[in-house]
Order: sequence, then structure tokens, then C-alpha cells
Amino acid sequence: MSDTHFNVIVLGTGLTESIAAAALSKAGFKVAHLDQNPYYGGDEASLTLDELIQWVDSNTTNEAHGKSAFHAQTAKFTSISHSGDLLPNSRQYSISLWPSIIPSTGPLISSLIGSGVSRYGGYKLLERIAVFSSGQVRNVPGSKEDVFKNKDLSLLEKRRLMRFLMFASGEFEGKPELEGNESSPFSEFLRAKFSLKDDVVEAVTYALAFCTSSADPTLPALHRIRRYLVSSGRYGASPFLIGQYGGAGEIAQGFCRASAVHGGVYILGRKIAAVSDSSDSSENPRLSVELEDLEDKLTCDLLVLSPNYVPSNLRSAAVTVSSDSERVNDDSPASVARCIAIFDGPIILPYSPAQPPAAAGEATEGDAASTESESHSKVDTAVLVFPPGSIEGGNATVAATVLLTGEGTMSSPTGKCIAYISIPALASDTSAETLLQPYLRATLASITQPGPQSVPLFSLFYLHHPPASPTSSSPPKLLVTPNASNLLPESMDSATKNAEAVFWEALKVLQSDGQEGGKAESFWPPLETQDEDEEGW
Amino acid sequence: MAESGSGTADKSVQVKLVLLGEAAVGKSSIVLRFVSNEFQANKEPTIGAAFLTQKCRLEDRVLRYEIWDTAGQERFHSLAPMYYRNAQAAVVVYDVTKASSLEKAKSWVKELQRQANPNIVIALAGNKLDLVQPSASSSGATSTPESEDEADDATATPGEAAAAGDQPESLRQVPRDEAEAYAKEAGLLFFETSAKTGDGVVEIFTEIAKKIPIEHILASSRGTGRPGAAGRTGGAQEGGVNLEENAAKSKDACNC
Repeated sequence: MSDTHFNVIVLGTGLTESIAAAALSKAGFKVAHLDQNPYYGGDEASLTLDELIQWVDSNTTNEAHGKSAFHAQTAKFTSISHSGDLLPNSRQYSISLWPSIIPSTGPLISSLIGSGVSRYGGYKLLERIAVFSSGQVRNVPGSKEDVFKNKDLSLLEKRRLMRFLMFASGEFEGKPELEGNESSPFSEFLRAKFSLKDDVVEAVTYALAFCTSSADPTLPALHRIRRYLVSSGRYGASPFLIGQYGGAGEIAQGFCRASAVHGGVYILGRKIAAVSDSSDSSENPRLSVELEDLEDKLTCDLLVLSPNYVPSNLRSAAVTVSSDSERVNDDSPASVARCIAIFDGPIILPYSPAQPPAAAGEATEGDAASTESESHSKVDTAVLVFPPGSIEGGNATVAATVLLTGEGTMSSPTGKCIAYISIPALASDTSAETLLQPYLRATLASITQPGPQSVPLFSLFYLHHPPASPTSSSPPKLLVTPNASNLLPESMDSATKNAEAVFWEALKVLQSDGQEGGKAESFWPPLETQDEDEEGW
Repeated sequence: MAESGSGTADKSVQVKLVLLGEAAVGKSSIVLRFVSNEFQANKEPTIGAAFLTQKCRLEDRVLRYEIWDTAGQERFHSLAPMYYRNAQAAVVVYDVTKASSLEKAKSWVKELQRQANPNIVIALAGNKLDLVQPSASSSGATSTPESEDEADDATATPGEAAAAGDQPESLRQVPRDEAEAYAKEAGLLFFETSAKTGDGVVEIFTEIAKKIPIEHILASSRGTGRPGAAGRTGGAQEGGVNLEENAAKSKDACNC
């Protein structure tokens, strides 16, 4: 094989593409991985604050795609507005364009471990999930222990909620409660079958199952809850992890490194001038990619690309790989309104009933804890959920989620915190700022001490419209990675599942071509690791 | 978490060290020389791992280097920020027989000063010294031991064998004085090395070890940061999670 011919060229370094690239490289295929941006991660990147401001500029002037093979795309980011200037230590921020939390059990964690990429990054437990209800922040009783210790619930309510949690963590398929209700609205199911009262229904629906509206169907919601309940205890009490240094973008970099370690070639920050089908001129190579400032064309047998990179001239040869994940199909990504706000910490939330002040921190933290008020504590990471209609000026039909991260996630300088707010946006929503400003105000008012902190140091609002996924019936030459879920705890897992589907699909195509070199029996071949800690001296 | 009393003597301090430099200057060879020379008896490096580890004893303290190779990502300037993240040391390598490689090294030093931790200890290493020395030094082990880890280096040195001329010194394109003066001015440690003969290689790592502010690393890793890159020590960190360790544990738990 020549220097410029590859089995697979992957376009875009989003999480899905990066995982697929790592798996293909590890399976022995020759991979080139390109991104027009000078940074890794694509629309899922983690950026420093100065990079984020550049990102805003390039997306507002719409020069992001300049003259390239992909100009036909409609604008992906609209209604962008920001306030606040570049803050000090701007390079110490690692701000995620795709905020997410990771269930401790699931495809992403399995892939991180299976590929060895887990060693490149750091992870923290999500400390708290809270729900905004009747004008205040309440902790969500997410485990049996939480329920047991909860002081807001009556004994009867505790028993009912306990019964539901037992049901949801077990084999609920085929149980009489569920029969015929699989697709009925989850919130009604909770009321009708478990007699839960309204505020408990709200907490379970939006903060335990992460439903976006009261109409979300029961079965997928139950599947999610079961997965989260099973996840808790694996790494600690919380079912969720947060990736340090900005989450998804950092994890994507890790998979890219894994791919490079196995021979993947990385070229970033160069415009792709043309993608063409060259299979007529000779049998093999079939596709070629021209990069600006690079003399030789790169050629390949198969292109794997993010929907952002579908070239207009080859749209009919592109097929979106479908992953069999029910979740992904359920909430096929619609537009999302997002807000990123930087503010002065700390983040203060009501105590979790499961962590009474005495047992909350380690011994060293004890002093700090006791100087705080009786009922509140500082946290470094939290999710705050706003159910529909929970605040004035907010959306009455869909829920908003807020991910809060402090300095402990290594994503912001000392003392600074980041709030990521997201809410599904409808076609009629034209201003991200109008949509999200009430949530930002309510968030800052309820998690920080009153005072100047309740005004963010920097805030950015925008609407994100995922690109359309092409479909084609002809034999695919271009495999397009599907859009991932936008649900906070589902997004990275769905990207991982999609990557695996893309991997197997790519394998099929490459093997039908009789390509030697690559083969795979599993997504991640076993790691031959040694326990380095046992090295003798 | 309460490790203050035990001191640093028996606890090795983990130090992330990154390699930089133009393709084919011998980055991987230097590491392999360092890692395998010191540890003949040791197990082979981890297959498919993206970094090698090697302990370095220095008087009363032990450093555990976690050495990251570029994996070829330097070729199109596509090194991820993750690569520099938390690196406490860097070895920037150039080739004494190739003037342009020193220029490249200087630009990597700039990149480090921009991207990396401000306290990073940087060493500049002029490699392939054997090519410019009289033939006396041709004794050492030529090939580095088999280490599959270096599928790692897609840039594996092709042209090395080609340059065995008769008048070695004439091959030199970078005068020692010039490089040393630059290193001094930029505040870098400076060495000329031969990964082939082993000259100067271990010295790089021991001199870096002397300069690393270990107490500072220990202090900061006890707080929020994690030493090196890995979450491996993260278990001790507040709320930090080691994905692999706990995964193994839970696997064991099932096997009862």
C-alpha cells in the first residue's frame, strides 16, 4: 500500500467518528482521520475560552466552512449571542460543546476500558442530582437509601416510591403493571400504577428517567431508569460519571490517540477541497480526498464520515448507519437550545439526605462543612433539572437540564464554575437567549450565595441544529455516522453504540472487497496489559 | 488520603513526560534505550500501550516516569491538547546531523511554553551523536530490544543506517555550542545523546528527575489535580474514579 492510500478515511473527529477510528485502527486497518477544524472533537469539542470565542466568531460570520466540499450544509448553529469578555486564565477552561454525564455501566465505559483509553483521562462521580420544584431546589431521591432517609416524604409515599424503584430495577418486562402501557406517557403510568403524588412523579420523570416531556413513553423511560439504578454502586453511590477536562471532547482525543498509536494518521485544520469517486478510472482505489496545501490526494476504499462532512456530489452514495439502539431512534435529535455560563463558585445545594453533614466529607472536609449552613453544602458537580412549567417564563411542555461543573472537573480555573443549560428547541423558537435566560437566572439564584455571583461572568446562548442524515439504497461507499441522542446521560453512550455499528458495517464493506490486513472478532480486542504497579525494583 | 506522615521515600512520584521533535530524530529510540537498558530483567512493555513507564531512583526518592510518545501525531501538527496536559517534563529531540531539526525543536519548545503546565521541565536532546563521533563508540548494543509497544511510532526512523560516513564530524550540522547556547537562553536542560550507544540517555532522565519539583507535585496531587495523566492514582483523589480498577473489582466480585 502506498503512503497515501488507506483502507478507511474518517472525516470528522466527533466522539462517534473517533471511537470508530480507534476500533478500525486496532483491527489492523490503515486509517487516516481528518478534521477541518484545528481542534479535535468537531461539534462535540471541548474548547478553551479563547477558542470558544473564536468558535462563536466563525459560526456567526459563517465562514466556518469557507470554500470546501461541504458548503451546501445549512447553518448548524444559529441565534448565537454572548456577553462578557475574555476572562483571565482563559486557557485553563475546557468548555464542552456537548455536555454530558456518563452512566457507570454502559457502552462508553465498556469502550473506554476495552480500548485502554480510560487511562488517558480522569473521571469524577457526579455528586448530586436535584430538581427545581415549587420554587426551590430539591434533591432527587435516586436510590433506596435516599428514599429511606428522605425527610420530605411521608411514610406512605416512601413505600410507594420504594415499590416503584424495586419494580424499575428488576425484570419489569411482562409484569402486569407494564402490560399495554409500554408507550403510554410515563408520568401517567407512575400516577396510575404506583399512585405516586405529583412532585414525586415529576422528580422521577425528569430527574431519574431524564424524560423531556410528560408525553415521553413508558418503556424507554423504564429502561433508562433501570440502567442508572444498576450503574449506581459501581464506582460509588452516584450512577453517573463526569469526564474531566470538558468531557466528550477530551474523550474523543483519547480515542484518536489510541487510533494513532495503532498507526492512524491524523491531519487536522486543513480544508477538504474535494471528495471524489475515482472507482471508474481504476478498480481500487475507489475514493479520493483532496486537502488544501497537501499535494497528494489521499485515497481509500471506504469513507466513514460525520453528517457534517457529506459531500454534496456524493450524497447519493452515502448511507447513514443505523444502530439498533431503540433510544437513539426514539429521540432522533432535534434542535437544541444551549447556554454556557461561567460564574463564581461555589455551587451550593441542599444536603442530600443520604449524606448527612457528619458523614458528608472526609475528615479534612469536616471543618469546612460545619461552617456552612445546616441544610446546604458545597458541591463540585451537579445536575439540576427544571421540569416543564417549573419557572415563570420557562417552557411549559419540555424540561431543561443544567449540568454544573466546578474546578474539581479540571475544566475551569480555581473558583470558577460552568453551567450548561439545554432544552429541546422547537421550530418556532428563534432566540436561544429568550428561551434560556429565565433558566440561567433561576439556576444562579438558587445555587450561589446571593450577591454579585448571581450574574454570570460570561454567557453564551445558541441553537444547535444537527445535520440531516442522508440515506441511500445503493451499495454504500460512504458510511455516515448517525446523530447521537441529546439526553444528558444518554448522549455519549449512544455515540458509542453508533460507533460500534459503524465499525461492523465498515468491516463488512472492507471484507467484501477482500482487503487483507484487518479483521476483528470483537469491537475491542483484548488488551494485553501488565499491571505496571507490580514492577519490582 | 492521609499520606503526609509517610514521606516520599518509599512512595514513587508519578511524572508524566512527553516527547517532542521532528519525525525520525530518534524520539522512540531514546525512550527504549532508557526503559530497556535500565530494566533488562523487567517484563516487556505493555503491548499497544500508548506510554511506557520507567522508574528512576534518585538518592532518597523514586520517580515513576510515564513516558508519552507522539504516536506520529506530530507529523501534521495534530497533537491533541490532551498530550501536553499535566506533563511535568518534556524531552525535545533533534538530530545533530540535521540543522532543520533544531529549528523544529525550537518551535516545539514554544508550543510547550504555550500549551503546557508553566512549571514544566524541558530537556533538549541532540540525538544521533554516534554518527558524528569517531568510530570508537560503535560497541554498544545496536538494536533496541523487541518492544511491540512501538507500533507506537509510525515515524520509525528509516534513514539512520544510511549516514555512516568516513569523516563523522563532517556529518554534524548542529554545533554543540550553538544548541547549548540556545538551551541556556531558553532555560532548558541540554544533552547530546546517542540512543544507539546509550550515551547521554540516562542522564537526561536523571537530570530531569533532579529538577522536578516533587514536593510541589505531591502537594498538588493531594489537592485537586491528578499526577501524570492517568486516573490511576485518582482513587485517592476526592471523588476521582479509576475506571479500570473498579471494573476489575466488580469482575472479581462476580466470580465467587
